[in-house]
Amino acid sequence: MLLKSGSGSSSSGSGLALPELHRRLKWVALVSLAAFGLLIGRLWQLQVMRGESYYERTVSNVVKERYVPSVRGKILDRNGIALADNRPSFNIYATPKSMTPEVRADLVRMLGLGDDEVVKIDERLEVGKKRDPKIPILVLEDQGRDRASIVEQAGIQLPGVEVHHEPYRYYPQGALAAHLIGYMTQMTTNEADKLANQGYDASELVGRYGLESAWENYLRGKKGIERYAVDARGQRLDDATAKTLIEGERMVPPVSGANLVLTIDAELQRLAEKSVSHVGAAAVVIVEAKTGKIRAIVSKPSFDPNVMTGHLTHAEYEMLKTDPRKPFIDKALRATYPPGSVFKFTTMIAALEDGQAAEDEGITCVGQYELAGTTFRCNGTHGKLDMVQAVQHSCDVYFWKLAERIGLDRISEVAREYGFGAPTNLGLNGDSGGRIPTKAWYEEHQKYKVGYATNASIGQGDVEVTVLQMAMAYAALANGGKLFVPQVVERIEGSDGHTIVAYQPTVAREVKTPSDALDTWRRGMYKVANEKGGTAYDHGHFDLMPIMGKTGTAEVRKNHKKDNDERDLEGWHPTRSHSWFAGWAPAEDPDLVIVTFVEHGGSGGRIAWPIASKILEGYYTKIRPLHPVGPVDPKDPKDPKLPVAVPVAPKQVP
Amino acid sequence: MSKKGTGLELPRATVGVSRWRRFRAAVDWPLIITVAVLCSIGLLNLYSATYGVRHHKKFDYQVQWMIVGTILFVIATMIDYRALVRLAWIGLGVSVLLLLVARLLGAPAAGDTNHGSTYRWLNIGGMGIQPSELAKVMVILVLARMFQDSESGGVPKRVLLLRLVALAIPIGLIAIQPDLGTATLLALIVLTVGFLAMPSVWPMVYLTLGGLLAIPILWESMHEYQKNRILGFIDCNVAPTANCWHTQQSIYAVGSGRVLGKGFLEGTQNQFNFVPEHWTDFPYSVWAEEWGFVGSAFLLAIFGFLLVWIINVALSARDRVGAVICVGVAAMTFWHVVVNIAMVLGVAPVVGVTLPFISYGGSSLLTFFIAMGLVANVSLRKHGY
Repeated sequence: MLLKSGSGSSSSGSGLALPELHRRLKWVALVSLAAFGLLIGRLWQLQVMRGESYYERTVSNVVKERYVPSVRGKILDRNGIALADNRPSFNIYATPKSMTPEVRADLVRMLGLGDDEVVKIDERLEVGKKRDPKIPILVLEDQGRDRASIVEQAGIQLPGVEVHHEPYRYYPQGALAAHLIGYMTQMTTNEADKLANQGYDASELVGRYGLESAWENYLRGKKGIERYAVDARGQRLDDATAKTLIEGERMVPPVSGANLVLTIDAELQRLAEKSVSHVGAAAVVIVEAKTGKIRAIVSKPSFDPNVMTGHLTHAEYEMLKTDPRKPFIDKALRATYPPGSVFKFTTMIAALEDGQAAEDEGITCVGQYELAGTTFRCNGTHGKLDMVQAVQHSCDVYFWKLAERIGLDRISEVAREYGFGAPTNLGLNGDSGGRIPTKAWYEEHQKYKVGYATNASIGQGDVEVTVLQMAMAYAALANGGKLFVPQVVERIEGSDGHTIVAYQPTVAREVKTPSDALDTWRRGMYKVANEKGGTAYDHGHFDLMPIMGKTGTAEVRKNHKKDNDERDLEGWHPTRSHSWFAGWAPAEDPDLVIVTFVEHGGSGGRIAWPIASKILEGYYTKIRPLHPVGPVDPKDPKDPKLPVAVPVAPKQVP
Repeated sequence: MSKKGTGLELPRATVGVSRWRRFRAAVDWPLIITVAVLCSIGLLNLYSATYGVRHHKKFDYQVQWMIVGTILFVIATMIDYRALVRLAWIGLGVSVLLLLVARLLGAPAAGDTNHGSTYRWLNIGGMGIQPSELAKVMVILVLARMFQDSESGGVPKRVLLLRLVALAIPIGLIAIQPDLGTATLLALIVLTVGFLAMPSVWPMVYLTLGGLLAIPILWESMHEYQKNRILGFIDCNVAPTANCWHTQQSIYAVGSGRVLGKGFLEGTQNQFNFVPEHWTDFPYSVWAEEWGFVGSAFLLAIFGFLLVWIINVALSARDRVGAVICVGVAAMTFWHVVVNIAMVLGVAPVVGVTLPFISYGGSSLLTFFIAMGLVANVSLRKHGY
């Protein structure tokens, strides 16, 4: 191992191997200390001075929060048929902060997004940016499996874009009772701001119409929060790892929304909707005569809430918006119409109450009526009639003469007693009050003329009512004077099915009408539907049982120039009269009160009555047959032997 | 130097003491222990760095490389460095040849897709070897050889120039691989040794200034990703590249360690792979995250001690060749440590420079084992071996 004396074995003259190094040693020390000092200084800066904030950042690097949507409550009919439900869906979320123009372009390209969708995504990201740019926001709801898998596989190529498997609102019956059920949409920016303090997340859908909107607070439940850990690629880490990383609760579980059980009978609702399929615009309200519970409520034209909830294209929306029949206005309770002859009971009851007329008083109709220089034309020349016959033939002259005696304000008084002129308090879709004019009202707006009473007495002029109000008034006529607050929600159930609240029928007031006055009106209604010459009977017989009815043909003002240019849609034309029918069945022991209304449909007897007849016939032959085939289960609450309403006893609140 | 004196006297004063005991006393134990401590820290850190991402095989490989490295260390210690230095030019020639072979046969490294095709690796028996790492050792030996010659009255300027050109060849080859990091590092080793060993510093000053002037030309010939690395280092918003993200995440990792660290295997930045490939170029961020300022400073102190020790060996070397070898190894170690840690701390651009004994990878590890072996060699020989 010992080295032979060779080259380089001897030291240089100074006795040092490398004198240059010795000379420059202080420079070596200086440069080294400077370099190491810089590194130590930087370490101090990063770890000691800024350590806490970097620590926070690494935690937020790993721990993410996300909202866990609650399962929205179902909406069920009285027999438990789902009208609004939830189904699994793929929702695509994007994180505004990670959404650079490149990522956005990638997303559009990879998913093959259409223009509408791109606009939607941009709008939502804008909303999300204001809320918290680091939290993903729902940009595309209810996507197909193909798009979901593209996003899932893209991984880091689409940073911040996530797919969540979430319940999605779904209306299994399609457009059935669409106005009643309503639909849901994304919040607008303003709403998101307003609702943020109520625990709403900007990416949530919110009930927009009908029960979905009115009962939002019961249906929505409470969303949960999940905290989870991710790695650098944004891939979710397993629970065991997450547990070690996250302090405190990892999951605040969502609370499911409550189910609404309605008084609606889905089968009857479907029958009613089918029965108005041939007309352009219509409303049907069917209520239980003795409880005021709504069994069916139809407004036509309608929309499919499944389409409205997140899938509405711009073109479809434009079409719905520009439809002159105004599909978004609920024709059963928001729109108001002149009621025509179905309103005549107010005039008769007022006259009878005041003793200004008697049932057997004969009045001769010559087809017209003169008052203060104006000639009013009757719908026919009826000859001499008593009060019951006047109802049967819907003779206007008879009621004009009554109005002359009692005056406008008495008619108004009775009308208000029967619920007209004020909202029914169903609390849905902008429930209108309508208008019952009085002398004072006319004085306020224009000068009162005596002819206004003449018009009002037959439900024309400035009288405006809703179809629902009419149904509630006829229910009062049917049940002997109880004016109910209409009820559509039977009870609220928890997601496990236990009753949270059961609602009882509410009587708004007992009307003061003497029973003999009611009987007079009812006799008239009987003749309308069951005797020759009756305005309904002449257009179709109802053979299953005697029923009560009253038709109405409400003329509309024809001086709207613009209306004359409107299209004729399925028999709908803006100059045509409104067609009404109001009645109940069976005649003696009322079960269902039915009001059918066809907007600009024409004659009440020809148009509205056959619809009501068809609905009642279908109901008493198919849904609740009068003569059942085969054995009857005595425990069946739908025991078909009696066509009487069997109110389901509401369960007690626990 | 008193140490040198005792070193020379030791064999004489202990007549009768067995050869083995004399050898054992002459062996540079502090150096060996320091290297062993660094290797232990390296393995501990690698275990953590590859724990979360399930690259546990890397740990086994690293252990295997360390065993091979230890053997190479012993060989590099035993063969007299003066004999090795005589073969320096041949060695450099061989490494230039290997660089050329890698250039011609080499395939892009697996997983290195973002740089396009590079030619850093040479496949030997299933193991990837970087010839550029071997070149570092050879350059150090060549420098030792050069300064041994200049000792006797200096060489003609023409010869000196020729030698500089010869040294520039491997640097140039590495630069066009492209591996600017290693090329720059080699240049820094040559410059540092030049500054510390040349009788006059002025030629080195001129050379440095010339190099700085060449930067714009170099810049123009650089690849886009290389430019982005540097731009991204200057301002993340100018070139928001993956490298910029590396640096940002690395800074978060280091900073989040705070004073005492998150604890072994507890570094979330590391375990969840926020700093990609942290076992090769960013192991210090793993260490800093898990052991905090205390651990980071401790590791830096060990490197500091290693450097002081190597310079100490240089100062006490029995000849100029040995001293220059030690200066070269010290320069290599110094620049590796400083550049790597500066990069991890976000004060230098991201370049592929490893942290000695801590980074995962055979080539780097073996190079440093050999280099330390050479220092131990010089240290041993001062005792008369």
